Amino acid sequence: MKFTLKIWRQEGPHEPGRFVTYEAHEVSPGMSFLEMLDGVNQRLLGKGEEPVAFEQDCREGICGSCSLVINGIPHGPDQGITTCQLYMRRFCDGADITIEPWRAKAFPILKDLVVDRRGLDRIMQAGGYISVNTGGAVDGNVLLIGKDQAEAAMDAASCIGCGACVAACKNASAMLFVAAKVSHMATLPQGRPERERRVSAMLEAMDREGFGSCSNQYECEAVCPKHISARFIANLNHEYLRAGIVESGRPSEPESPHAESS
Amino acid sequence: MIRLFSHFQSSAGKKMVIALTGLGLVVFVVFHMLGNLQLFQGAHALNRYAAFLRDMPILLWTARIGLLCMAVFHIGLAVQLSVRNRRARPVGYLIHRYRQASIASRTMAISGMTLLVFLGFHLLHLTAGVIDPAFSDHLDAEGHRDVYGKVVHAFQNPFMVIIYLAGQVGLGLHLTHAISSSVQTMGFEHAGLSRLLKAFGPVIGLIVVLGNVAIVLAVFLRIVR
Ligand code: HEM
Ligand code: SF4
Ligand code: FES
Repeated sequence: MKFTLKIWRQEGPHEPGRFVTYEAHEVSPGMSFLEMLDGVNQRLLGKGEEPVAFEQDCREGICGSCSLVINGIPHGPDQGITTCQLYMRRFCDGADITIEPWRAKAFPILKDLVVDRRGLDRIMQAGGYISVNTGGAVDGNVLLIGKDQAEAAMDAASCIGCGACVAACKNASAMLFVAAKVSHMATLPQGRPERERRVSAMLEAMDREGFGSCSNQYECEAVCPKHISARFIANLNHEYLRAGIVESGRPSEPESPHAESS
Repeated sequence: MIRLFSHFQSSAGKKMVIALTGLGLVVFVVFHMLGNLQLFQGAHALNRYAAFLRDMPILLWTARIGLLCMAVFHIGLAVQLSVRNRRARPVGYLIHRYRQASIASRTMAISGMTLLVFLGFHLLHLTAGVIDPAFSDHLDAEGHRDVYGKVVHAFQNPFMVIIYLAGQVGLGLHLTHAISSSVQTMGFEHAGLSRLLKAFGPVIGLIVVLGNVAIVLAVFLRIVR
């Protein structure tokens, strides 16, 4: 198969970028999208040119590194898969394919198609954890968790932090990501004690990073490789409203969790 | 309370204020439409209804001030968030394909602006009587202000009909997304009810628009005169 690729090239975070057209030759239908790009890069290296930078790691849809907007859709035309799980047989021979990076103020471009997604990590650092050490895996049925809860938590926990939801959202909002993390932890007993503090801190961090807010268009849900449902966003809003009410009845907390001991 | 207040400083909290004030305005447009349907019961009924409202100045002005506050918060925060949301993506995509966002959800700012312009016109026209003063102070046989005559006079004019129908398009579009969306914003969801909640917006929007359009067209087509 043959393809004409229009790829965003940008040398560094502060350089101006532009689209450059490349030909991809001798592509087999069984190649993944990233393998096709590997082929393009081999040719570029052979010619002594700078290869196209793109992020990848596991190449099996679990790490969340790969991040390409393909013909206007994050992770490409198929639903429920990451870029690395997309195969070239999905495209017509000779097709034009436009490849762009995730675009958001909170995801500055580092080089070509690689963006800095540490904003999502900083949201996690703000509250996406539980402070106590829970030890190793407990024996079965020591901690009773209903099946509905367990499944809801598992659905939410399958978020791999790829950021496609941000890339697809017209507001570059990270609500689906935050919703998945907050719902995952608020559903399980280990996450309950810090439930209110967590949701407030994570949403504040989301604002700080420059992500937009939610307009309830659910474009995020449509591109999420893990089928995280937008229902979790309603759950996030519910948690946030609840936290506002519950916390307003409490004495104000010390500034930092370690303030008492200092 | 301070905490609850500080919650409304975040973008998610502001969106909740937009949703709550928006729902308040929705309640108003529904009752506004229902009240005006009394046009079909004749001049007597509509003028009495109008007089009934005007006879309670304290209630009337409380409602007006309440509506004004809701509108100010709704529009002010909506504009603020829309600007912030545009800034969240300074460089756009060469190709961007929507996968499931409805037309109504993509035109909220435009339909909202249409509504704002229409609202200004409507208030100057039928409430304040500035645009077409010809009919503002007629009295009917019972000594009530002749609202009926004013409405009939207004919608016999094709230009007014066009402006009011355009306003209804804006209203219908805005409500189609807004009502279902505000349910989500206020954090309510239920697996078994999701279809019903999604249908809420379009259905209520359609009912309000049909009611209003019926009044305008009934006069224009001389069914009510
Ligand atoms: C008059 C000018 C108006 C403007 C400029 C305006 C603008 C907006 C905007 C920009 C949004 C946010 C949508 C989003 O984030 O995607 C919104 C939401 C909404 N609007 Fe309006 N609007 C106006 C009037 C109204 C009126 C008259 C009503 C009620 C009849 C209304 C009801 C709502 C509701 C219920 C929402 C949903 C909030 C949510 O998504 O949670 N708006 N409006
Ligand atoms: S919610 Fe889905 S699209 Fe968003 S970061 Fe998680 S896995 Fe990626
Ligand atoms: S490379 Fe790990 S998910 Fe695609």
